[in-house]
Formats: sequence, structure tokens, C-alpha cells
Amino acid sequence: MRPVIEMLGVDTVYEGEKNATLKGVDLRIWPGDLVCVLGPNGAGKTTLLETINGILPYKMGRVTVLDEDVCTRGPKVRRQVGYMLQEHTFPESTPYLVKDVIIMGRFGRIGLFRRPNETDWNAARRAAEYMEIFHLWDRPIGKLSGGQVQKVLLARTLAKEPRILLMDEPYSNLDYRATEEISSKICELHRTRNLTTLMVIHELNHIPPDCNRIVLLKDGKILGDAPPQKMLSSSLFRHAFSEG
Amino acid sequence: MIELPAHIFLNTILGASLAALVCSLIGVFIVRMNLSSMGFCMSHAAFAGVALGLAISRDPLLMALGMSTLVALILGPVAERARLQADIILGTMFSLTMALGLFFLSIIPGSAMSSTALSILWGSVLGITDSDLMRLGGLSVFLIGVIGLFYKEFLAIMLDRKLAEESGINTRPFYYAILFLCGITVSVSLKLIGGLLIFALMVNPVSSAYQFSHNMKNIIFLAPLFGLASSVTGIIFSFQWDVPLGSSIVIMSVALFLISIVLSPKRRRG
Ligand SMILES: Nc1ncnc2c1ncn2[C@@H]1O[C@H](COP(=O)(O)OP(=O)(O)OP(=O)(O)O)[C@@H](O)[C@H]1O
Ligand SMILES: [Mg+2]
Repeated sequence: MRPVIEMLGVDTVYEGEKNATLKGVDLRIWPGDLVCVLGPNGAGKTTLLETINGILPYKMGRVTVLDEDVCTRGPKVRRQVGYMLQEHTFPESTPYLVKDVIIMGRFGRIGLFRRPNETDWNAARRAAEYMEIFHLWDRPIGKLSGGQVQKVLLARTLAKEPRILLMDEPYSNLDYRATEEISSKICELHRTRNLTTLMVIHELNHIPPDCNRIVLLKDGKILGDAPPQKMLSSSLFRHAFSEG
Repeated sequence: MIELPAHIFLNTILGASLAALVCSLIGVFIVRMNLSSMGFCMSHAAFAGVALGLAISRDPLLMALGMSTLVALILGPVAERARLQADIILGTMFSLTMALGLFFLSIIPGSAMSSTALSILWGSVLGITDSDLMRLGGLSVFLIGVIGLFYKEFLAIMLDRKLAEESGINTRPFYYAILFLCGITVSVSLKLIGGLLIFALMVNPVSSAYQFSHNMKNIIFLAPLFGLASSVTGIIFSFQWDVPLGSSIVIMSVALFLISIVLSPKRRRG
């Protein structure tokens, strides 16, 4: 079996910064993995996800996703990788409707010189129904609540019908009921489509039952990578969240 | 009211309408993508280019294109990256291009305040030739063609560049395309509208359009309509009161904006 994501000795340096934010990261993600990424604020979790989908260029090492080099084939990779941004917000006056925000998730894979067709709109509609936000379909995106935006963004990444799903704190704006519902949907997607999933979370009770790996990140380095039971009982975990 | 030969009147109406159309269309991008200071700089650069062209007897249009492209090449990468830095550099460039424009204006042979020189600032009605019209017409077709061809990419980039990138669109070529189209638009329309006011014609119709819709797909059609309306009413105003064409068009675009605010369904309380 080949890994769907392979990082070898990767350093990511933000523009204008002297020091690398990710430092020598080695990570292999296998088809069907459901991985939770944990670590203190500023550990580099968002940086890790954006390095994987190639939005951030890396300086050293090599990142291969779905057998493509992210560095040179970024757009092609991103057409197959759904990435839900952390706490993304839209100003109130943003002149776009929910349905357009959702269908735009597919724009890359539709390709140049083509318009979204019925198949595309169906995928967008299904994603909106799945996230239970279809009643917001024709509303301006700027006039939704934080949790509703969160669901729209998740629907948007699902509309792409991705082969890999990256989510940066998908529960950050959700009430407890929505958290449970979406959590069970993430598991369902993972189970039925064998969707490889990486999610950044902060709360231990958000770890889905299907999670098979926890990646622990601190100061831009991978501190540990193990199944949940093993990881949560290890001293590494307490160490990651201790001072210094 | 000034009496003008019919064909000049016709040329003016056509020219001003086309200029308003292209300016307000590119203005949709400039406003939505927060490139206002960039557009402002480019219009001043184009102005400096025309002045330079007149001063050294070279094609003013080519010089304007050259100058605004230069600004896009310098400022594009800056504006693409660090926010705070961009403001400082834009501010400097803005004053530099303005100063250069005035400097070149002063070295144009003949009287510095000659009508040709002044017309770059104010825009001119009479100077418009058939070849100017051809250029404006060609640019309109080109602009609408490019936007039509890459409509969905432009829509996505105007929502949010990072989200567009996430969906798998390679956004950089489109970002620079917008800057260059802005430069061409400014350079070609400058002669009619004038360097001081062209920027207003890029922004005001768009601001009006925003009053009537929450949907970019409507705004992108409404803005050029408001641009056209400003130019037609502006021409009438200009001939009636003998004011420079550019300023009367811009005054009309502001008036339309004020009316839009009053009529806006967004502001009406249920
Ligand atoms: N655009 C940027 N330029 C420079 N440094 C950055 C930038 N974005 C993040 N960093 C730095 O990189 C480090 C990792 O940031 P990152 O956003 O990946 O953290 P995180 O683990 O996602 O944190 P959080 O839990 O708060 O979301 C931080 O020290 C941060 O200051
Ligand atoms: Mg983060």
C-alpha cells in the first residue's frame, strides 16, 4: 500500500520569517486513516494542513499527496483535497450567496472554460442537504451566524467530493448538538467512502470513535503519532501541553 | 449650449460610454479585491505616461501603458503579500507617479498650460478620434471576452483568493491579469476622462451597484449600467453647462450614487 500523504523532512518557512515553523516533519498518512492533530496554540497545526495541500510552499524535504508533488502540482492536488479553513469569516456585506460559495468548492475540478453543469449543482445541493443548511441556500453568506458559516464551509469542501479531507477545528463555532451531528457525519463519510481524514481539534471529547491515529504537534515538530488509547495515556501528551 | 458637428457629438457619446463601460467593469474587481490604492496609483502612472509621451513626442498611449504596467509589476507582488508594507509602498508610489506626471506636464514643449497638456488632466471632448474609438471598442470586447471566458475563476477569486486557491484554481495568473487589464483600461480611457478623475469612474458606479444587490453576479452587470448612465447624463450636463466632460461624468456618477443610497432596498426598513 502506498501512503496518500507523504511528508519527508519538511520545513515550512513563512515569508519574511527567519526560522522554520514546521521543522523536519516526517509523516505518512495511509488510505482510510482518520487522524486527529492535537497540539497547543501556535504548534503549527494550521501550517501542517496548509503545507499538505500546498497553499504554503515548503523550503526543505518533499511533500507527496496522491502521488503528486505538491510543490509543482499544487492546483491538481487541491482539486482532490478538501480543506476547511480555521474560523473563516465573511464580512456582512460580502456580495455572495450561500449556493455560490458552496458550488465554488468545485470550480477548480470543473476546469477552465467550463461552467458548472447539473452534476455539479447536484453535488453542491447534496452537500448542503447533508450539512442541513439547504434552507440557507439563497441567503447572502455575510448574513449567517458563525456556526452556519462553518457548516457552509464544510458543505463546500464536501461538494468537491474530495479524496482527502482536511479540517481545521471543524467544531469551533458549533453548539453541542451540531457538534455531535457533524462528528457523526464525519465518521459516516469516513466509513462509507473510506475518506482519508485529517482533523485539527482542541478538545479530547471531540476525538471521533473511528479515529485511528493521534498526531501530537509542538513547536513545529511531531512529538508523537499513535493510536488514541496509547497516546492519551502516554506522558508525551501531558508534556506537549506543559509550559516551555 | 455649444454647437458641435454631429459626428463629433456622436463620437463623444460613443467614446464616453465605452470608457465608462470598461472603467466600471474593471472597477468591480478593483473595489471587491481592495485594490483601490493600486488602481489609484496606476491611473496616476498612466497620466504620467501620457505627459511623458507628449513631452518627448512619443505615442502617449504606449507611454501610459508602459508606465501603468511598470507600476503593476512593482506593486503587484508587494500588494500580494504583506499588508502593512503595501500601504507604505503604495503611498510612496502614489506621490511619485503624481509628481512625475506634473513634472512631465511642465516640460511639454510650448506653453505648459496648453490645452493638450490640460486635457490630460481634465479629459477632452474634441480630441477624440476614430482610432481612439476603435481602441475603446476593441478593449470593451476584449475585456468582456476575458471576463466571460474566465467568469467562474474571477467570481471565485473575488470572493476570497485563499478559498479560490483551495478549490484548485491557480489564482496568480488571474490576479495579474486583473492588474494589467486595469492598466490598459486606464491608459485607453485617460484621454476622455482625464487623469485626475478616471479613478472615480472606476469606483462610483460599483458603489452604486452594491446598493442594489447582495449578489456579485448582479453587481458585475449593474456596475457597467451605472457607468453608462453616468456617462450619458454627464455628456448632456457637459454640453449644457460647458464643463469638462470628465468632471461632469464624475459628478453624475456621484449623484447616481447618492440616489442609489436613497433608493437602496438594503437600507429600507421593513
Ligand atoms: N503568516 C504567518 N507569518 C509568520 N508566522 C506565522 C504566520 N502564520 C502563523 N505563523 C506562526 O507559525 C506558528 C504556527 O502557527 P499555526 O497557525 O500553524 O498554529 P496552530 O497550531 O494552528 O495554532 P492554533 O491552535 O492557535 O490555531 C505560530 O508560531 C505562528 O506565530
Ligand atoms: Mg490553527
